[in-house]
Amino acid sequence: MTLFIFYCFAAVLIFAATMVITARNPVHAAMYLVLAFFNSAALWIMAGAEFLGIVLVLVYVGAVMVLFLFVVMMLDINLEKLREGFVRHLYIGLPIAVVMVVQMLLVVGSGIMDPATLPSGDLPIPEDAGNTALLGSVLYTVYVYPFELAAVILLVAIIAAIMLTLRRREGTKHQDPGRQVKVRKEDRLRTVDLPRNQQSGSR
Amino acid sequence: MTTADAFETPDLMLALPEIWLLAMACLVLVVDLFSKDRDHTPAFWLTQFALVSTAVITINLQWGVDATTFSGTYVADDFGTILKVAALGLGFLGFAYSRDYMRDRGLLTGEFYMLSLFAMLGMLVTISAHNLLTLYLGVELMSLCFYALVAMDRDSPRASEAAMKYFVLGALASGMLLYGMSMLYGTTGSLDLATIREAAATLEDNRILFLFGLVFMVVGVAFKFGAVPFHMWVPDVYHGAPTPVTLMIATASKVAAVGLFLRLIGEGLEPLIADWQQMIVILAVLSLLVGNTVALVQTNIKRMLAYSTFNHMGFILMGLLAGAPGGYGAAVFYAVTYAMTVAAAFGVVLLLSQKNFEADQLTDFKGLNERSPLYAFIMLLLMISLTGIPGTVGFYAKWLVLKATVEAGFVWLAVLAVAGAVVGAFYYLRIVRLMYFDKPEGAGPQPSGSGGFRAVLTLNGLAVLALGIFPGALVAICMAAFAP
Amino acid sequence: MIGLSHYLVLGALLFALGMAGIFLNRKNAIVLLMSIELILLAVNFNFIGFSTFMGDLAGQVFVFFILTVAAAESAIGLAIMVALFRNRNSIDVADLDTMKG
Repeated sequence: MTLFIFYCFAAVLIFAATMVITARNPVHAAMYLVLAFFNSAALWIMAGAEFLGIVLVLVYVGAVMVLFLFVVMMLDINLEKLREGFVRHLYIGLPIAVVMVVQMLLVVGSGIMDPATLPSGDLPIPEDAGNTALLGSVLYTVYVYPFELAAVILLVAIIAAIMLTLRRREGTKHQDPGRQVKVRKEDRLRTVDLPRNQQSGSR
Repeated sequence: MTTADAFETPDLMLALPEIWLLAMACLVLVVDLFSKDRDHTPAFWLTQFALVSTAVITINLQWGVDATTFSGTYVADDFGTILKVAALGLGFLGFAYSRDYMRDRGLLTGEFYMLSLFAMLGMLVTISAHNLLTLYLGVELMSLCFYALVAMDRDSPRASEAAMKYFVLGALASGMLLYGMSMLYGTTGSLDLATIREAAATLEDNRILFLFGLVFMVVGVAFKFGAVPFHMWVPDVYHGAPTPVTLMIATASKVAAVGLFLRLIGEGLEPLIADWQQMIVILAVLSLLVGNTVALVQTNIKRMLAYSTFNHMGFILMGLLAGAPGGYGAAVFYAVTYAMTVAAAFGVVLLLSQKNFEADQLTDFKGLNERSPLYAFIMLLLMISLTGIPGTVGFYAKWLVLKATVEAGFVWLAVLAVAGAVVGAFYYLRIVRLMYFDKPEGAGPQPSGSGGFRAVLTLNGLAVLALGIFPGALVAICMAAFAP
Repeated sequence: MIGLSHYLVLGALLFALGMAGIFLNRKNAIVLLMSIELILLAVNFNFIGFSTFMGDLAGQVFVFFILTVAAAESAIGLAIMVALFRNRNSIDVADLDTMKG
């Protein structure tokens, strides 16, 4: 039964991945990539990596793919032009891909990878602990140095993305919350003393 | 090797260079934010201070030490110290040369300093990595900074084009490297390089899978090196990027690539030297052939230096494939001295560049001797050193590499390399001819730049000369680092 | 029962699809970025497969970091693409030929 479920998810995953690279429209490609991520998450959860499966859905489907879609929709891309040459590359790309698949399958699928011959790892997984708790316990101890590096990489991504895309244009209408908060009644409201007996001149 | 239960508090002092550099980079970030200076002077001086102080800390804490910390993910040793100090020094030169150029083009921003500092941090991390995970993160930290730095000139189509190519091919290379790492992990059961080395020595089951992973890793590393046939990005990136960024990629990142090779393949996979040696031989031969032939027809000096890089990468790979302590020592010596020489060559290009004018055509060097005898002489020194004429530092570097190659039994490869160096002499000496014997078309670019820039460039050129006359000390240091 | 080969074969297929995507979609930078995501996904499958069958946590830790780095990488990749689009009004990578030599 698990094998059947595995094959179902795997089949959808491969289909989605194929559609990502062949889809006519980048928006469709992004949606297929979302599908691929969902199926991968399911497969990872089946393999016992629950935390990573959930992270994949939250971070990739929830954030990264939204970013992709946002950029696709923001840029006014000429779809017709993008398709030219696809078939021409297909004649070169397809044989290369097929040869590569066959070679890789020969190596990784030929049964030399018998689980019995696998070495034992550094960080054995105990039977009774939750996946998330386990990952948490090593992330902040054994892998604290890589963890800090990952933080630096994210900081770099923030700096780089802002540097490359933020433009201060003249004449754009934007709000300055600081000035909005600082505003006082006197700045907006002007009390005027109007003389009482002047009803005729105002009309 | 380690489990969560047996966790020991890491020795932070051992990893102080990286921690210090990170702290300084964050300081630059904050100081630059609040500084009103249009030329980002505080960021510049802080950056230079950060590099120098990190180099001092590295020498004091890590030379003569051989220890790991952070549960074996970080290692400090002799050759790591050499490479780190070299990378930091090259970064120092890069910042010293780039200020006027970046200011003239409106690119002198705080981000330039921050991203370059983080790139330096990535190099240090790569050089000190003792675990596949840290190695990967270090390489990525360096590469991500460089992708962004190449695209920094946002209004230049050429720069963003180069960045896009660099990004796609670089990400592909990382994918290859990771696929190889996953195979290594699967067959040895560890991410730790020391454990992998032990496992590789006694590998029986799954040997094919292990070698399969090795192929992917060599391809990934070759991409980062810019070795032929994985070199497509190099000329365009050199050409399209702002020259100071090109300088960093051409010098400091090559030193880090040597570190990546030595850690991952040289140290982790040493027992399998017979297997990877053949792959590196192919890369070295192709690099030697392609580099020289295509460099001959270039008219842009940045592209010419890019193609001639392949020739030098071929030499470095020859040293690395010789494997024995001598080979590694020669490769490190070659990488450090080559990077220093090329840094000065880009320095001269930057010196001649003016506002709205890039002195990157070979014709811009015509008659340089009449305009500035000093810098013509320095350029002459650099070119003959890159050629490898006896008496220059380039000659000693080539000689050490050739000696190691012959000792490893690759006489034919050494002969090929010498033939390549002779062809290389042709296009390097062409620049010398242009400088000394040709008349400039029109006025020709005058050297510009501040006094500090000129002083550092002159010192850099004289250091190349001095190392050519007295190479002994640096050779001894490089060889001692690999002595068993 | 699901074997290790299942995961490795799936990884190999995804990796090849990602590579093919890079070769086929030379004109479309955004699908190139998606192909890179596929390649990294393939690597993650390898690590998770090995991790499960070895009963070892290190592989899962590695996947955690690959996910982090890949997210940062796609942010930078998209930023470069936006810069490219602003300069050239197209994300056609095959057009990238202003530099020759």
